[in-house]
Amino acid sequence: MILAQGTSTDIVSIANAPLLWILALAVLGVIVLQSAVYMKAVRKNAAGADMTQREVFQAFRAGGVAAIGPSLAVVLVAIALLPLFGTPSILVRIGLIGSAATETASASIAAGTVGANLGDSTYTQSVFLIALFAMSLSGACWMISTLILTPILARGQDKLTKVNPALMAIVPSAALLAAFSGLTVTEFPKSAIHILAVLVSATIMAICLFVARRLDQAWLREWALGFSIIGGLIATYIATN
Amino acid sequence: MSTYTPEQDALFAAYTRTTNNWGRITLFAGFLIATSVPFIVLATTDLGITMGQVITAFIAVAAVYGAFYVVEPLTYFPILGPAGMYQAFLIGNIANKLVPSAIVAQSTIDAKPGTRKAAYAATAAISGAAVVHVFSLLLLVGILGTWIVSIMPESVTEVARLYILPSILGGVVVQLVATLKQARSTVIAIVVALVVVFLVVPNTPKLVSSFAIALCVILTVAISWFTRHIGSGSSSDEEQTEGSLIN
Repeated sequence: MILAQGTSTDIVSIANAPLLWILALAVLGVIVLQSAVYMKAVRKNAAGADMTQREVFQAFRAGGVAAIGPSLAVVLVAIALLPLFGTPSILVRIGLIGSAATETASASIAAGTVGANLGDSTYTQSVFLIALFAMSLSGACWMISTLILTPILARGQDKLTKVNPALMAIVPSAALLAAFSGLTVTEFPKSAIHILAVLVSATIMAICLFVARRLDQAWLREWALGFSIIGGLIATYIATN
Repeated sequence: MSTYTPEQDALFAAYTRTTNNWGRITLFAGFLIATSVPFIVLATTDLGITMGQVITAFIAVAAVYGAFYVVEPLTYFPILGPAGMYQAFLIGNIANKLVPSAIVAQSTIDAKPGTRKAAYAATAAISGAAVVHVFSLLLLVGILGTWIVSIMPESVTEVARLYILPSILGGVVVQLVATLKQARSTVIAIVVALVVVFLVVPNTPKLVSSFAIALCVILTVAISWFTRHIGSGSSSDEEQTEGSLIN
């Protein structure tokens, strides 16, 4: 498909507009505001659960420390994606609901509907905007669904969490496995280098998970995706240079 | 469950009211801001994309993730409770960051799962994780990100740009397979993917191949569902026990 306008592949020039920066900061601000309100609610009402102020702080700190590893892994992926989407969009998409993997997959699927591939010469400004729309609308559905479902579930907690457990056990995981298998196999016909990237990344992940389990190193499980991505990129760099 | 005094019940009710009200307000605010981003790019540039293209792209993405819009909140609600839901679906990274943080915090202060104390600990822990999340993104991606990309030689960024997707996907697939532990669905998913990508896509019109991933999902879910009684189905039991860890 040929796009009349927006055929430049200079994504960063439109993706770094000042207004987008303001929105990105606002989104991070909303997260901080929510956490502050929640922490205040916990501290003020701690006695309602036989909890001391010291225990409230300990829980806060433990949660923060446990999140350092996964956060750095997310940062690593976010930085690698910067040239594709620009800083503000990355902060909004990765900062809010959505993980690096989900967003990359969504963008790739969206680009595919106009016959383009992320990162190559078909990835024009127009394709970037279409991908950004698809990612944003998809994320919006997640949030709307949560806003609608949470009060309903809170009212009928016991009943509704037991809706057909067999279906709930099969559908989400089968859908996830299918989506990522499909996306991965789609990379294979592109070039031998793409296959190399997939294989090296998969191998490093397998080794990390194996070592993590054998030697009981939980941190390695959190860092594994970061190592896999770097390994895949190093292998493709060596193969192409 | 231990018994609480009426004063304690009043405090817990106040906590529930505050977190529910503010949870909804902040999640809705996050939704509004994030969703406005592409519309603002559309309004401030002249890229000539059509509504049809946007809708087609969204349908293709929704075909893959549509089930999750509903299934994920349903799945996580028993784990997180209402307060945690509004945190988790604002911040994301639920399974790899927020839920592990909450579990670590509960074991740190020895809060028994299912108690009010455990719910409070989860809320405090997710707040702590949120602060680390925002700080790391702001500093390392927002402020230093472009600089980190800029000090990288052109050849490095070029390789990263071209091969980031396969480099992510290889690891994610292995992690998924290892985490979900569903051998039958895994085999079905891989076979379906190979058939769709190498047989269906090259032999069908563009319209069909645009929805290749959705086709993979629908076929895999259908085959997994209709063959569910073949082989063992013990994984659902594991999910159940893990699902009740926090609240």
